[in-house]
Amino acid sequence: MSLAGATPGRLRRAVDDRSATLLVVPLLLFDLAVFVVPFGYLLRIALSERATAQAYVEGSWSVESFTYLATASNVHELFAFTLGFAVVATVVSLAVSLLYAYAMWRADGALRVVLTAGVLVSMFTAIVVKLFAAVLVYSPNGLVNDLLVGSGLLAEPLLLVNNGVGALLGQLYVIVPYSVLAVYSVLATIDESLLEAARDLGAGPIRTVRAVVVPHVVPGLLVGGVISFTWSIGAYAAPLLIGSGSERTAGIAVSDFLLQQFDWPVAAALGLVVTATVFLALVVTWLALSRSGVDTGV
Amino acid sequence: MSDRDGLTDGGTATRDRSQSGRPDSPVVSRLRRTAGTWLFRLAYLVVFAFLLAPILVVVASSFDATGAVTFPPEALSARWYGELLASEAWTRAIRNSLVVATGTTLFATTLGVLAALGVRRLDDDLSAVVSALAVLPLLVPGVVLGVTLLVFFSEFGLQQRLPTLVLAHSLWATPLTYSVVRATFARFDWSVRDAALDLGATRPRAFREVVVPNVRAGLAAAALVAFVVSLQEFVMTLFLSGRDTRTVPVKAWNSLRNSLDPLVSVTSTLLVVAVLLVVVGAGVLVGLERLARDS
Repeated sequence: MSLAGATPGRLRRAVDDRSATLLVVPLLLFDLAVFVVPFGYLLRIALSERATAQAYVEGSWSVESFTYLATASNVHELFAFTLGFAVVATVVSLAVSLLYAYAMWRADGALRVVLTAGVLVSMFTAIVVKLFAAVLVYSPNGLVNDLLVGSGLLAEPLLLVNNGVGALLGQLYVIVPYSVLAVYSVLATIDESLLEAARDLGAGPIRTVRAVVVPHVVPGLLVGGVISFTWSIGAYAAPLLIGSGSERTAGIAVSDFLLQQFDWPVAAALGLVVTATVFLALVVTWLALSRSGVDTGV
Repeated sequence: MSDRDGLTDGGTATRDRSQSGRPDSPVVSRLRRTAGTWLFRLAYLVVFAFLLAPILVVVASSFDATGAVTFPPEALSARWYGELLASEAWTRAIRNSLVVATGTTLFATTLGVLAALGVRRLDDDLSAVVSALAVLPLLVPGVVLGVTLLVFFSEFGLQQRLPTLVLAHSLWATPLTYSVVRATFARFDWSVRDAALDLGATRPRAFREVVVPNVRAGLAAAALVAFVVSLQEFVMTLFLSGRDTRTVPVKAWNSLRNSLDPLVSVTSTLLVVAVLLVVVGAGVLVGLERLARDS
């Protein structure tokens, strides 16, 4: 950049612009101190020897916690369950979100406001409140079963809590709002004249959705899928509160290893493996997106 | 729902069918179209009910006189709200929640605004790196973050302190304030500020007097988002808080693990009301549409 012809104001601004970039430093320092360094510390503990009488052997180096994770069969079951749970939750969440976001997008006026407000209120409601409320609604003497049995549709109440179904329902309360908004933000960018064009060319409504809307909304589905999947991999509260105890996810196991078995190296290693799984899923999605030529916007 | 509805446009459905060689009579196709519309409406209304029914049930059960936590309540009463005010543990939890949420709002909004200002001047690659770094903590499972911070802060004896909770909550609030403020700045016409600078205003003065008044709504939305994130955060706080520093969600969780405490309904209702106020406030400030897309 040539500064020769710059006015004093411009020159000063160019210098200021350089120093203005320093404004990102506080954020970076914060992330370093409260995120990067603590994770380094966690890695250090994961690489310590396990001990019986204390949390870990200070100053020691060992990979036995990772070896334990790689060989113990109950850890394998834990991971298989967590992955399966996350996949099912993601698929259901995406299906529901596509439907709801599409309704939000097609709606006008008051209906659109109501549908948008509904998803925002659910999103901003504390997870504990949503899970507690879900127990009230889905328990054997809750609202849903009262309606089903009371209206004569069913003779016996459905078992919707204290099992896998409950864990899944609870998890959906956590992820669906985010996934709806991810899909909606992409839908909102579709030029509606594309739909009219498709119809004018003779496509039926379902075909229009399949051929025009779905391909366009793929980035939104991917973002929604990533959010649903990563959050379900780390699921903790929903399976613990509305599951039965056999819905043990890796997140629950991390907490158990740390607080109940007092085995810090294994807790740390498991936490790192869970985080690595999440980031792996992100990288794979991102690569798939950029290879298919979709603008990831990141 | 208007007649723009893509799934319900039956006129073209007829055309589609006639092309595939199975022409339906107009009556059948109209029936099909109506059935399709109602099926679609039913489906999204079920999702709507799925999202909101529990919240309604909680609010209703907080007014149940018996404290049985049932729906619908048998007799209405506000007595549990009185009990809440009388419970020292709950009022302390409410106070903790408010203190932490206020601290998080101030801290995360400041960091977010500064970074969003700074990143404007970086080239595309660098700003992508900064943005990715800023968003990263949001993608780490809460349990893992909670465990990590507990292990780390207890090394310095800083666990179970309110400032520690502010730092933890800011880890999730800052990426959001940063994104909202960045989106806001992207809509601002910066040549107006440059004009102020050319006219001799100092940088802080130009920011205060020209930029802020124009982006006020976006900044307020960012602050509100930070406040709500802190108010509802629970997994990290579960690990990082102690007897005296519990926030409302953690206190509620502990009560739920033991028994169904009617006070959980009451505090849940208060949380829901707080959130409603925030969503309505943000809706008035920046519009629901933008809130839905930016956050």
